[in-house]
Amino acid sequence: MGLIQVGASILTSLLIGVAPWRHFAQTARVYLLLAFSILAIYWFQPAVPLRSFDFWLPSTTLALVVLTWFVTSQSGAYTDAASPRRRGDRSLTWRSPHNLIALTLIVGLSAIIDLSRYFLPEPFITTTPPPRFVLFLFFTIIITIFISLLNWLSHHFRWMLSTAIILLIFILVILKMPALSVQASVLIRTLTNRSIENASFTDLRWLGFSYIAFRLIHVLRDKQAGRLPELALSEFATYVVFFPSLAAGPIDRAERFAQDLRKDFVLTQAETLLAGQRIAIGLFKKFVIADTLASIALNDLLATQVRTTGWMWVIVYAYAFQIYFDFSGYTDIAIGIARLVGIKLPENFAAPYLKPNLTQFWNSWHMTLTQWFRSYFFNPFNRWMRGLKNIPLWTMILIGQVSTMLLIGLWHGITLNFVFWGLWHGSGLFIQNRWSDFIRTRYPTLGQNTRLHSALQIGGILFTFHFVALGWVFFALSRPAFSWQVFLKLFGM
Amino acid sequence: MRTFSLTILTIILTTLLLTACASTNNNGSVKAVEDYLNALVAKDADRLSTLSCKDWEDDALLELDSFQAVTTRLDGMACEQTGTDGDTALVLCKGKIIASYNNENQELDLSVRTYQVVQEGGDWLVCGTR
Repeated sequence: MGLIQVGASILTSLLIGVAPWRHFAQTARVYLLLAFSILAIYWFQPAVPLRSFDFWLPSTTLALVVLTWFVTSQSGAYTDAASPRRRGDRSLTWRSPHNLIALTLIVGLSAIIDLSRYFLPEPFITTTPPPRFVLFLFFTIIITIFISLLNWLSHHFRWMLSTAIILLIFILVILKMPALSVQASVLIRTLTNRSIENASFTDLRWLGFSYIAFRLIHVLRDKQAGRLPELALSEFATYVVFFPSLAAGPIDRAERFAQDLRKDFVLTQAETLLAGQRIAIGLFKKFVIADTLASIALNDLLATQVRTTGWMWVIVYAYAFQIYFDFSGYTDIAIGIARLVGIKLPENFAAPYLKPNLTQFWNSWHMTLTQWFRSYFFNPFNRWMRGLKNIPLWTMILIGQVSTMLLIGLWHGITLNFVFWGLWHGSGLFIQNRWSDFIRTRYPTLGQNTRLHSALQIGGILFTFHFVALGWVFFALSRPAFSWQVFLKLFGM
Repeated sequence: MRTFSLTILTIILTTLLLTACASTNNNGSVKAVEDYLNALVAKDADRLSTLSCKDWEDDALLELDSFQAVTTRLDGMACEQTGTDGDTALVLCKGKIIASYNNENQELDLSVRTYQVVQEGGDWLVCGTR
């Protein structure tokens, strides 16, 4: 999101926030939020070299949202005997007025954006002209058939939910793995009569898909576990593509988000001030601190140009602070904007660089992502391992932590540098776990000495920060060979 | 439900009719060249790719690369369609691309070449020069 988009989001949120909702149904507020979120996914989508794909990618996002809603909603999803479907309850079916309005809003707004190519000299919301209407119509028909088929199947087969999860992970893997992205681009370029020589893994820059996929997987998994409450399409779609958290999270939980949506909301002066303060802090962090640090922060070019150990440490520190201020700045902006419309998005950061050990760091860095992995991978995986016999505890901890961190690394990109970054943190967490255990059993009174405790805390903060900063060397650079060179320079070799 | 389906069908048919009329835009070739030149001086490779046909995409990106080290702007650009050659529209532009490096300007006359523009899937695309 650039400054103009942030400005427009603030203005829209203020308008929605100050509207006298007590005189209207709260659902009108939800429809407005959904409408702006739909426009935002088209507007925020960056240009790509594939013609009209700045229209097709957001349209596919919406198609996936509708599809997932159909297979998880009470009217469509498989339900077992424990929670029988309430047949004949029209409020739960897609034909209910609320759901029809939301469906019309999603299809209608996409159609209007597409139709603008015929009536406006310049595209008004996408960066390039949208495709011909007949193609959009064809796309809509295909998606409708696909959704109807999946909806029918999901009535009868529980594995449809798993199929939807696999489909989302499949798309995510294609987007995150450069070799597969290039092949996907070659395929699209061949089908659309484009030059395949220019196919690149950056051709499919799909705005916020990593976050959207994780929100969708969360609802699918919760549906499988019988934890998902019934959500109207307007609530569900607004949750997945909510405009403040579209590009960089946080990853909220659907039931919590829906609670905020259903509350009667009046934007008070105090709330406006709090939101404004949060947005101002976020703007300062992102556009002043992070963007200034970006010029001296570690990257492929600087990694090869910097020759001295001292300067190498400077650019590594600069990167550590740049990535924090950039990401937490965006989060502050998202939380602030969301507050203006009555949504309290979860926190994503809690002073992570001031934590005395790596476990606490990961409990305060990108918290919603780590909570997601804890809920849907780490905990179930650990439960499964505990069921296996003859596996020592330390092996379980090692496998659990390394595999979780490896997956978090791969979520950022399926490349070697992210594998190393995940392994770095996974093994760090394991060593810290074992070390803490050792200290606790051997020196149980260590924490009682106040001075020693303070010294250990400060030492822990410094050590943890440096461990994380060194980990960023893998994260920031495109090749492990570059990272190795940086490590050598950092330690004067 | 029946009324809803009928309304949707009517909207779609009306829209298709309107779009069929609206798509006969004969300024499309000129606009494509103007957009192409704007993308070129803005060094917007993504936009330039979407405005080039398959055979011209490489050349377009090569031309963009040649401007990477300089700052560029358009001066007095005005394009018009001068004729056709089969399915290809021929577009000639007046004006200049001004490339600056270290406060030194180099002027590139736009009128020295005619752009060949073709229509593919309803979009006008630059497909070479003469």
